[in-house]
Amino acid sequence: MIQYLLFATFFGLLLLGIHRKVIARIQRRPGPPIWQEILHMFKFSFKSTWVPRTASDTLFVGVVLIAIGIWTAALFVVLAGGSLLIIFGIYMLHKIVEHGFGLSSGSPYGKFGGVRSVISAASEIPLFVSVAAIALFTKSLSISDIISYQETSGPLILAIPLSAVAMYIVIVSKMPYGPFSIVEGKELVSGYKTEHFGVWRAGLEICNGLKTYVLLMTFILVFFGGVPFGVMLLLMILIIVTLSFVCALTPMLSPFDSVTVQTLITGVMVVYVAILWWWWI
Amino acid sequence: MLAAGVAGVVAIALWVLDLIPLWLYEAVLVIDFPLFVLFLGLWWMAREGEADIPFLGY
Repeated sequence: MIQYLLFATFFGLLLLGIHRKVIARIQRRPGPPIWQEILHMFKFSFKSTWVPRTASDTLFVGVVLIAIGIWTAALFVVLAGGSLLIIFGIYMLHKIVEHGFGLSSGSPYGKFGGVRSVISAASEIPLFVSVAAIALFTKSLSISDIISYQETSGPLILAIPLSAVAMYIVIVSKMPYGPFSIVEGKELVSGYKTEHFGVWRAGLEICNGLKTYVLLMTFILVFFGGVPFGVMLLLMILIIVTLSFVCALTPMLSPFDSVTVQTLITGVMVVYVAILWWWWI
Repeated sequence: MLAAGVAGVVAIALWVLDLIPLWLYEAVLVIDFPLFVLFLGLWWMAREGEADIPFLGY
């Protein structure tokens, strides 16, 4: 388990490095090496670290521990083939963590990042509709049951492609430099993580690596089924490259537009699931 | 950091020896991993007057 946890952290950071590299190449820049995010994590671990005077000490430090802890738990839930609802519960918890990051620092940039994190909760609604469509077909929300269903009935991405698109958009909303990445917009310096520097930022990098790995792994298991490990890693790289294209070719939306677009996606998904339900019954 | 590291190693050993169930081992890691990582960084970080970027990245 510990070896898988370390592997997931480093591979997740490598995926984020590939993300940055592909974006740079699309924009005709050389870009950083693909292991840059791993180097970042180590670099921040070495930097001088303290807690800002304006910060709430306990929350400022505690939220970093919670960020790593929840995604460690999420990894174990996915590996055990546990409930999809727990994964999405942890996804929601991450929102609270982002909020905690922003508000604990006492910095206006961090606070705005935290507030934007709350308003971007609209991105979670397509997730619930996507889950409803999965439950309609598989009659279960356990990842192991969903994998078993796909062994007999084929990948869910072919049966409910729009649900896969909705969940893909949810992952887009969590990727850095994406159209929905309003929580870390450049007008807010680094958004909710502006004041978390040094060791605290290294912890956040570890959380981001784990989060990327867990979200992509969940997407693959739910929509492609239980593929061999090597194929899963290859699919993760392919998905991250497509995400990089989306992020490189779309501008970051304003907070209002971001919420509007995500709400529209939810509307489309609700209609889709209603049609599926009507057709299925 | 030492306590977190020792707790993690003990949990690994107990699980390998089949003395604790998998869920308990994982629960220990969920609490222990973040603590260990953060304390390792705090122990590792540069103090005042030291150079603090040993990795240049290129």
